Amino acid sequence: MTTKATHCLVRLYEEHHALEDYQGGVPRWCNGCGDNAILAAVQRLCRDEDLAPERTVFVSGIGCSSRFPHYMKTYGFHGIHGRALPVAQGIKMARPDLNVFVNTGDGDCCSIGAAHWIHAIRYNMNMTMILHDNHIYGLTKKQASPTSRLGTKSNTTPRGAYLEALNPLTVTLGVQNVSFVAQAVDWIPEMLYDIVSKAFHHKGFSFIRVVQRCPEFMPKEFEMWLNDTQKTQILTHDDGVRPSAAIGRLYRNQLEHDPLDIDRAREIASRDDPIPVGILYRNPAVPCYEDIRHEGLKERTPEMVRAGLEAEFDKFTVWPEGQEQAS
Amino acid sequence: MEAIQQAQSVFHLTGRGPQPPLEAVNGRGLRPALLARYRDLGRLRYDFPLVLVDAGPGEPFAVPLTELVNDLVRRTVPEGPGGEAMRKHLLHVERHIRRAVAEGRRGRLSELWESAVAARGEDLAPELQELLRLAGSDLAADGELADCDESLPEALLAHAWRVVQREKLARAREDINRLIVRLSDILRADLIHSEEGRSADSLRAAVGTRQQGLFDFDTMAGLLSRGRARAGLGERRRERIESVLKVLRSQRFFPDPLARAGAPADVNPYEFRFDACRTVREVYAKRLPKMAALVRAMAIAELEVEGRYDESHHDAFFEAFDADAMSRQDLAIFPDYLVCLRGRARAEAADVNLMELLSSGIPVKVLVEVDDLLEEAAASEAHFAFGVRSVQLASLAMALNDAFVMQSASSNLPQLTGPLRKGLSTPAPALFSVYTATAAHSGDLPLYLVSAAAMQSRAFPAFTYDPSAGADMASRFSLEDNPQPLKDWPCATFEYADASLQRISRELAFTLADFVAADPRYAGHFARVPHPDWDDSQVPVADWLKRADSGEGDAPCVLAVDEDDVLHRLVVDEKLVEATRRCLENWHRLQEMGGVHNSHAEALLAEARAAWEEEKRREIDALTGASTAAGAAPPAPAEPAEAAEAPAAEPDPEEEPEPSPDEAWIETVRCSSCNECTQINSEMFAYNENQQAYIKDLRAGTYRQLVEAAESCQLSIIHPGKPWDSTEPGLEELVERAQPFI
Repeated sequence: MTTKATHCLVRLYEEHHALEDYQGGVPRWCNGCGDNAILAAVQRLCRDEDLAPERTVFVSGIGCSSRFPHYMKTYGFHGIHGRALPVAQGIKMARPDLNVFVNTGDGDCCSIGAAHWIHAIRYNMNMTMILHDNHIYGLTKKQASPTSRLGTKSNTTPRGAYLEALNPLTVTLGVQNVSFVAQAVDWIPEMLYDIVSKAFHHKGFSFIRVVQRCPEFMPKEFEMWLNDTQKTQILTHDDGVRPSAAIGRLYRNQLEHDPLDIDRAREIASRDDPIPVGILYRNPAVPCYEDIRHEGLKERTPEMVRAGLEAEFDKFTVWPEGQEQAS
Repeated sequence: MEAIQQAQSVFHLTGRGPQPPLEAVNGRGLRPALLARYRDLGRLRYDFPLVLVDAGPGEPFAVPLTELVNDLVRRTVPEGPGGEAMRKHLLHVERHIRRAVAEGRRGRLSELWESAVAARGEDLAPELQELLRLAGSDLAADGELADCDESLPEALLAHAWRVVQREKLARAREDINRLIVRLSDILRADLIHSEEGRSADSLRAAVGTRQQGLFDFDTMAGLLSRGRARAGLGERRRERIESVLKVLRSQRFFPDPLARAGAPADVNPYEFRFDACRTVREVYAKRLPKMAALVRAMAIAELEVEGRYDESHHDAFFEAFDADAMSRQDLAIFPDYLVCLRGRARAEAADVNLMELLSSGIPVKVLVEVDDLLEEAAASEAHFAFGVRSVQLASLAMALNDAFVMQSASSNLPQLTGPLRKGLSTPAPALFSVYTATAAHSGDLPLYLVSAAAMQSRAFPAFTYDPSAGADMASRFSLEDNPQPLKDWPCATFEYADASLQRISRELAFTLADFVAADPRYAGHFARVPHPDWDDSQVPVADWLKRADSGEGDAPCVLAVDEDDVLHRLVVDEKLVEATRRCLENWHRLQEMGGVHNSHAEALLAEARAAWEEEKRREIDALTGASTAAGAAPPAPAEPAEAAEAPAAEPDPEEEPEPSPDEAWIETVRCSSCNECTQINSEMFAYNENQQAYIKDLRAGTYRQLVEAAESCQLSIIHPGKPWDSTEPGLEELVERAQPFI
């Protein structure tokens, strides 16, 4: 609680940021890469919410997507493969006041990091996770990832992928305590921004899967969807997102969907054609792990710490003969 | 005129000792007829006794015992006949506790439960006793028990106040502790980096005694001092932080729950509960500078902790900061003051002080207990001044406009825990005016019934006025806690057997006269009509008040029953009827404030209705006039008028005109920032403030580049239009390639 006088004073000398203030470096992603769209949307969000760069952290694992923190002029942690989430959770636990974002790819999250992913959903800590899903390992030059479609030819699957692709949405929606699941596509940047913004404002673990193009290794992967706007289905609701008039005219395949309806969300999530875009599920009532753990936790005064330590030491103290403390 | 009519008229008009055949009612132990069924409250499951729960934040602080037992039964006893025996035993324990409390026993629920189980002792098998005891430990809450008696309002309010203050205190304390820790951290960090912090002694102190032999601290200190000493805090900042810490540590508003007993007297926490208005004002004035110092210290500390204290901006502000500079939000963190005023004498003495206190802006919560609505001294004078002052105290406070006001009888308090908490937690001053019956004036009626009757009879209506609920009266003022708030008097069905043992059922209104009939001090205002003389000339008081003129020989009456449940008709004298009428007017005024039968609204409605009727009448006249003029000709079949054709579809206002196909343009909102076009020519294509591409300068590149950009854009949102330079080589081919994107 800050007293009102302080509030006024702080507001007097507040700083405001422009989009450039969040741009960390020239992205080394290929031209045409969908990661650029995600970066632009997130930078817009930071500017529009005026997030203090020193109170914002981007955490990532390994992969093209995971170069994300380098391009944000905020705090960042380029972690190890699949381990972005545990790092982010540690940050949130120690510093619940920071805005924490996690960027991860389909290989990073759904393969080596799958266990962390499942438990991060269950822990429901207040952060925004963006899954950059281009159906391929791009950084290592084209190997099949868990979300590669059946038959995808790659360096590891020259005869085509043998398995059906994993669906990150249905997996997420199946985990206990799930509180926010959305899907965006990089080719509708306006909706991507709206969804990222909704996810940021949701208190809890917000999972966004962004279906994105990899023009270098999978140039034809989404060609059909780019050529036919009917194959992208916009989920609209007052509690979700609504497209602007211009986008609405272009993408006429729209479906009213209440984000509180998890059964319907699972049904919609299990389709991959048309690709649903919007908020599938949102339940603000699920408690956050950091709140549960911090609840009732008082600020530790030096006296408290000292008293606690003394009490603990006393248990092991060997007193000289005749000087035992009365216990 | 018959003898009875004459006698009752005389009694009604003069109020002098009843003439035969009327009889005096003294000493008959009468009570209002509607209360006949409530002889033994011990058998009744109602809101009392009340358990004052040691509640945490947001939990109810007072719960009726009945509710706790219901909850216990619901949770632990199986439904159906299998659980019937256990249910009965539990209800028996509840009844035992209720009776014990009514007889004056007090204590915590768990203790009384224990003794209630033990009291049944030999009647029960030991296993069953153990089971009942266990059930007691499974009750959802525990706390002191309170009955509806003289001590209830103060006990309940003080309890609720403690609960609310505890939440507030915990919040503030946590804040102060946080600031103390953070500021100490700043000082400690500074010490560690200072010369002193790096001295051999400090280093030695930082290592446990056992390992001290392992290190050479002098060498360590020598090594450390080679490093560049960091710039320290600066003298002014250190002084500021130290002085702020001193204020935070020595404040006495929020005691530290962890503070050791026997701390020095000057850090003893302040007292916030008083029993006189004057004292509060004096104490508050004395504490005000200390409050300002604390608010100032907290504000500086917040800035220091965030590292945002800027001497050039903030010094001047905080130098001038004093008690006047504190805002309402600043004051809201401090504990509220509680004042309990009891009895008429004290309330009278405090009246002026009370209003001054409520309007002074001090966060004070005042409880005024009214224990007698029928003021004895005034009753025997010409004017029957039924509790005018006490009833209107709350209305007066309402006129202050920014004070929270609640009025209620003590019997209704369990229903009002919500408003009670609201009033106690609002930053505005609050007045709680509570009527509580006293044994001295209640004859043989239980105090609960007398309190409830005061509210039923509109003698002491319940209402709340909450200035924080909105700007208008409709959202601020609520009468809804009263029984049947839309009616003049609450009505109930009363059944009795007549002389020939036939069941008779009738609607009875409960008026002020009925309430007064329960008080033995005012027996003189009533005269009993003997049974043989009952006829239509005795009119119920509620009907009497509606009459324009009284019939000759008629008189108002109320129904009462005696100890043997025999029904009596009592004629009421004019003074009391007059008081009842005033009570009703008072109620009407409250109703209007609560939006019931609002005279302004009704006048407007009547006006609007008259205008509407007038208009309709004119329309009808016009129509009948027209049809007369048209003679007997049948009305022409209605045909769709041509003019009423549907208007041509208007263009969608949101639709923006598409640029001409000859022009080059980009659908900027759809751009996915993929850098394809900007890599081709960053002079021609650029990003806007949302990092989305637009054509910055068409002439900065060639038509070829534009067409290539259109081809490489995966979303196909670049439209190249027509070439602008006819001398560009290969134009023909380019125009062809541009075709799909135009």
